[in-house]
Amino acid sequence: MPRWGMVIDVKRCIACWGCTIACKEEHFLPPGVFFNRVLIGESGKFPTSSKLIYPVLCNHCSDAACVEACPTGATYVREDGIVAIDDEKCVGCRACMVSCPYQQRTYYDENVKTREYFPGQGKTEMEIIGEKLYPFKLGTVIKCNFCSERLEDGMKKGLTPGKDEDASPACVNICPVGARIFGDLDDPNSEINRLIMEKKGKQLRKEFGTEPAVYYID
Amino acid sequence: MTYKTDEIWEDKWVNTTCGVCYCGCGAKVRVVNGVPVKIEGIKESTMGGTGSGLCGKGAAGLMYYHDPNRIKKPLLRTNPEKGIGVDPKWKEIEWDEALDMIATKMKKIMEDDPNKILFTNQTMRASDGPHNHPYFYAQAYGVKNNGNFIIGGGSLHCGNACHMLGGLIHGAWSIAPDWRYTKYVLKWGSSKGTGSGHSAMTNARLRADAIRRGIKEIVFDPMGNFAGGKATEWLAILPGTDAAVGLAIANYIVNIRGEMDELYLKAKTNFVYLIKDDGTYMRHEKSDKPLVYDTKDGKVKEYDDTSAAWEDLALDGEYEYNGETVRPCFVPFKEHLKQFTVEWAADISTVPAAKILEVAKGWVDNAQIGSTITIEGKTFPYRPVSSVTFRGSQGHTNGIHQVAAIDLMAQLVGAEDVPGGTLGWPAIRRAYPGGHYEQTCTVGTDGVIVPSVFYSHDPWPVHAPSYPATNMGCVDVWTHCTLSHIPYVNEVDYIHEKLGMTSKPEMIFGISANFVISNSDWDVAVKNFKDCFVVQMDLWVNETDQAIGDLILPDVSYLEKDCWSSEIDAFFFSGSPSFEDWYVHLQQPVAKPIGESRFFMDVYIDVANRVGVLDKFNAKLNDYYGIKDPELQIKPGEVLDWKQIGERVLKWVYGDDKEKIEKQGYATWHKPIEDVYWRWNIDSRCPVYMEYLIHDRRNMEKIFEETGFDYKKLEMDMDQYTPLPSWFWPESHKDLDNEFDLLAFSYRDILHTNNTTFQNPYVDEVSQMCPYTFTITLNTTMAKEKGFKDGDIIWIENKFGVKEKGIVKTMEAQSPKVIGIAGQGGLWADGRPVAKGKGSNFCKLLPSKLKYFDPVAGNMETAVAVKIYKA
Amino acid sequence: MNDKHQDLVETMFPSDGSGIKPYEWMISPTRQRQWIDDKGIFLWLAFFFSEIGAGLYFMSLFYSFRPGIVLGWLITLVLGGLIHMLYLGNPKRAWRMIMKPNTSELSRGIWIIGVFAVLGFLQIITPGGFNMVFNFIMGILCLLIISHGFATMNVVRALPAWNSTIVLPLSIISGIWVGHQLLQLMFAISGNAAAASGMEVWAATFFLAYFLCMLLYAWGTWHSSGAAKASIQRMLEGDLKQITYIGVGVLAILVPLVFTLIMWGGDTNGFLIFLRLASVCAGDLAIRYLIMKSAVYNPLI
Repeated sequence: MPRWGMVIDVKRCIACWGCTIACKEEHFLPPGVFFNRVLIGESGKFPTSSKLIYPVLCNHCSDAACVEACPTGATYVREDGIVAIDDEKCVGCRACMVSCPYQQRTYYDENVKTREYFPGQGKTEMEIIGEKLYPFKLGTVIKCNFCSERLEDGMKKGLTPGKDEDASPACVNICPVGARIFGDLDDPNSEINRLIMEKKGKQLRKEFGTEPAVYYID
Repeated sequence: MTYKTDEIWEDKWVNTTCGVCYCGCGAKVRVVNGVPVKIEGIKESTMGGTGSGLCGKGAAGLMYYHDPNRIKKPLLRTNPEKGIGVDPKWKEIEWDEALDMIATKMKKIMEDDPNKILFTNQTMRASDGPHNHPYFYAQAYGVKNNGNFIIGGGSLHCGNACHMLGGLIHGAWSIAPDWRYTKYVLKWGSSKGTGSGHSAMTNARLRADAIRRGIKEIVFDPMGNFAGGKATEWLAILPGTDAAVGLAIANYIVNIRGEMDELYLKAKTNFVYLIKDDGTYMRHEKSDKPLVYDTKDGKVKEYDDTSAAWEDLALDGEYEYNGETVRPCFVPFKEHLKQFTVEWAADISTVPAAKILEVAKGWVDNAQIGSTITIEGKTFPYRPVSSVTFRGSQGHTNGIHQVAAIDLMAQLVGAEDVPGGTLGWPAIRRAYPGGHYEQTCTVGTDGVIVPSVFYSHDPWPVHAPSYPATNMGCVDVWTHCTLSHIPYVNEVDYIHEKLGMTSKPEMIFGISANFVISNSDWDVAVKNFKDCFVVQMDLWVNETDQAIGDLILPDVSYLEKDCWSSEIDAFFFSGSPSFEDWYVHLQQPVAKPIGESRFFMDVYIDVANRVGVLDKFNAKLNDYYGIKDPELQIKPGEVLDWKQIGERVLKWVYGDDKEKIEKQGYATWHKPIEDVYWRWNIDSRCPVYMEYLIHDRRNMEKIFEETGFDYKKLEMDMDQYTPLPSWFWPESHKDLDNEFDLLAFSYRDILHTNNTTFQNPYVDEVSQMCPYTFTITLNTTMAKEKGFKDGDIIWIENKFGVKEKGIVKTMEAQSPKVIGIAGQGGLWADGRPVAKGKGSNFCKLLPSKLKYFDPVAGNMETAVAVKIYKA
Repeated sequence: MNDKHQDLVETMFPSDGSGIKPYEWMISPTRQRQWIDDKGIFLWLAFFFSEIGAGLYFMSLFYSFRPGIVLGWLITLVLGGLIHMLYLGNPKRAWRMIMKPNTSELSRGIWIIGVFAVLGFLQIITPGGFNMVFNFIMGILCLLIISHGFATMNVVRALPAWNSTIVLPLSIISGIWVGHQLLQLMFAISGNAAAASGMEVWAATFFLAYFLCMLLYAWGTWHSSGAAKASIQRMLEGDLKQITYIGVGVLAILVPLVFTLIMWGGDTNGFLIFLRLASVCAGDLAIRYLIMKSAVYNPLI
């Protein structure tokens, strides 16, 4: 069984927000909901300051704080390492949201569901069809799932996640500079393991001890 | 979570071309039940990012289709009063009535003078092609010289000087580093590879690989954001002072280090041409060709005399020809450079002298002069250094000299269109195998390359300034303007009167232009254009439409467009500049047009038909694509819509593969390596010594004298018409004083294409998550000293009392003497509620006087002296 | 022309200084919102009521005061439980929360409340229920319930201000203190002035302990990490400072101190006890609010 993970090459990233927006489309996310974001900051002082760009998403931690906090078992780590939410079990207590050091979860309630991209002008055809294609349950918590539907569908067709776009997360596909590399952390020969080794991949805020499956290289 | 499939009767991907900016990356759209729901790139294509990559705004393009604010029927102004803040009182009318109105108006104007109709092109909205056709559409009406083209979007902030020299040096519209083989890249006010510029994502993909390979990228920019923030090293520079640094580096190469690619200079530049004392070429008395001195034979020869080997041509010395003393133009050039020391450049630019020297050294060290590289079994000179510029550095009154200086360092080491150097987009487009439409550049007078296709105004051969001026842009006089600045200038009436321009514009036939707010002083734009009958084809009622539009026609977005021609003719700035196969994408409709919207090409055809110029337009199309097959030619009297025309043109261009290409949505074929690295394969010379400017100056001064046009009163700096790249202070710097102590500049945010993307809610959302996109940036320390902090609302005011409001955001990575504003915010059109009130408008702060435009290329001065205070 | 500018400023630079500028999210210390904002406010109340109910129950055990345990039991289960349910997104599935007691503090809490409900009910209906064993078990359960709210917060490693070791003693002492006050009032109202007066010596003790725990919490948190310090800073200097000074300074400390001094030596009076209780409850709510509202996450970059 693979354990899916991602390497984000910060050196390549140009902060175009492709991941953020493609992800919104893939999951038909309402306004204000993001499974992917880009953090833009600065360090140092003029004239030697530098711009910091970190795309962030759910880290799919193997020792996830959210899984630990979930009282119902709705949030769980799948065999393939993906941290998933069973929306039939989620009671909406948001303990997971509070405990996530990466703040990658969103509570889907009436307020979120009714938001319109063109406020006061009604939902667009896309938003309407999205509620059918990709329904979220009210009163549950939602987050990035590494596009597990894509992965599963693709693998059924014999495709390889991280290599074939029909079996890879949307944010990986859209990245115009190849800054996102997806693959199997358990496979010592995978490209992501090679990159993590060679470029000394780092996990964000490792000190929380959650063992993120997303690594950053620069 | 699983997809619900029971209600889904259609779920497909359609290949098309992205239309959110002018780059035109390959894109595919997922359509579910007829509704576009997702956009990605096309994996196989070299036109666009890595894999199926697309940038954020490209991915967000869906909203063009879904926006409920799109206009759905033609709108007619019923309030005769025009202006900003005046309600046009739109009335919906039928298409037929609208088209009739346009045709009647046009016919009446044409009885008098077709040059009274102004046209606009459409890169202001997006690359939703076709690209070049509006130009020759206008010609079908009898419009001359493209001089009555007005532009929006990038407007005159865009690349007049860059395009002019891109054409003269590379036979291309634009330049990029050869990311594949370069080692050392200098970027000057350009974000190539980091989000903007032509083929933005293609370059971003190539750059990302290059950066991973370990190249050095040094960015000269007032702010360390998109380009600077990603650079190996960012050097803060004041806007418009790049030429000083460039000239200092050139001086270092020539006079201090003394290491140049001499063979290149002798073979590929006009530095060997002999000039007289007045600086003009000594020409052959019969052939009129410039002359060179062959040191081996000890004789003066025509420049293209094959009996003289390149290496024997003289770069220095003094010679006699027909009793006159002549010398290679490199001689005065070399002397001229000596004044530009690094200390001098440091004073002007604020880049420390030691840094300039370090960069200059790095440049020569990395240039590997004399080295070669073998790729695909072919050997080329190898010069892995590249110096590129675009909008930022050239958008100043000294624009032409800025670009010339930045190009100069590449010339001196021979790093032009060879592996590792600066590339134009291929100047050559080979025909698709089995098809036609091959475009190859030619070599014109004096050995200068002539691009096969160029927008608007060809850079070469230069036509001599003449009068009376025949169109609003007066390109008869200002002959180097790719697109003329004169229509926007406050003194336009005076200029027209003096230069005998009698075709006072009466009508504008535009495509989504927003020139009222996207160029310079809004009031001047309204004043200059409000008396025209303004017809625009647009997606929304934008600011220009609301202020001065008379008739607004609903256009389709790129997602509803059937545009077979979208990139065919754009090879010289679209596609990959690198050695990669050609990819040309069609623009295929992914959804039905919204409301009653119609594709502007079909409206064009309809109007031309009503006016009676359709045959002329069709003949130009036949000619443009070079259609020889009588079956495929459009015949006189035939009325075809754009799709039907496409059936024939595609057959001509792609031959038997037409159907296959339509099915897959793109064409791809091999690009020979010599077409990329063509410099030593085409026997042409770069006019680095801009001799033509001497003649232009003489002609123009003569015209001004004869017409009484007082250019001195208008402070037009004729001294810039000099053949040697030189230093001239940009007008904005001259305006700085104790009160107006900051230079405001603008830059392109990766999320935005001019102002249209402000209406996209996806983009809007992430723009708010970006610290700088909707704010005005100030250097942290400077802000503190002046008493400003994040979130303060301030006024920015120029010397003419024009002011704009904005929100302060401080950042370390910005020169303390400037303030930065991204793009074209500060919008107010009622037709674009998402855009309304977002960001600040930089353009309005730019004064519209003639003296604020580059006297040669017509660039606008895109920096402005301002003061800021709390609102 | 730019009449919408102010809206944008409001979005990007909220005037309440709440620090949630969209572009500073997880770049600067970012505030916890789920468990205090919007519907999160229910959780604040639910924790409070569970705590005071259990506190009352706990104190009543020492006095074998059946009305006290009845009221405590009701407050904890009815008020605390109901408000808890209002907070949940899918209250019908609340039973599922018993599934993960091994890792989830929330789940453990549900178990404790369940056991408390059953045993408490038995104690209430059993004559002679105030026996040693019952009291001991119920006492432990009460303490667990009192600390449940803060314990749930305490296990959140992501929020350093909650993850501080001082949080638990503070919560236990505050529960006992408020429970004690309630009981004292009950005695005063029921005419048992002697008991009320006799309790006053404990009031002074609990108040002092409570005050020390607060100081210890503020001091300990300030010194534990950057993000935790930012939380305390927000309380003292930021947009929350009014709540801090009035809610904590005046209502939780100053007013009870004054009343405690007035009633020094057991000179109690029902009205003063009531006033002090009201002030203590308001103060406790303020402290809980501040701790929940001011907690910030460490920035990611």
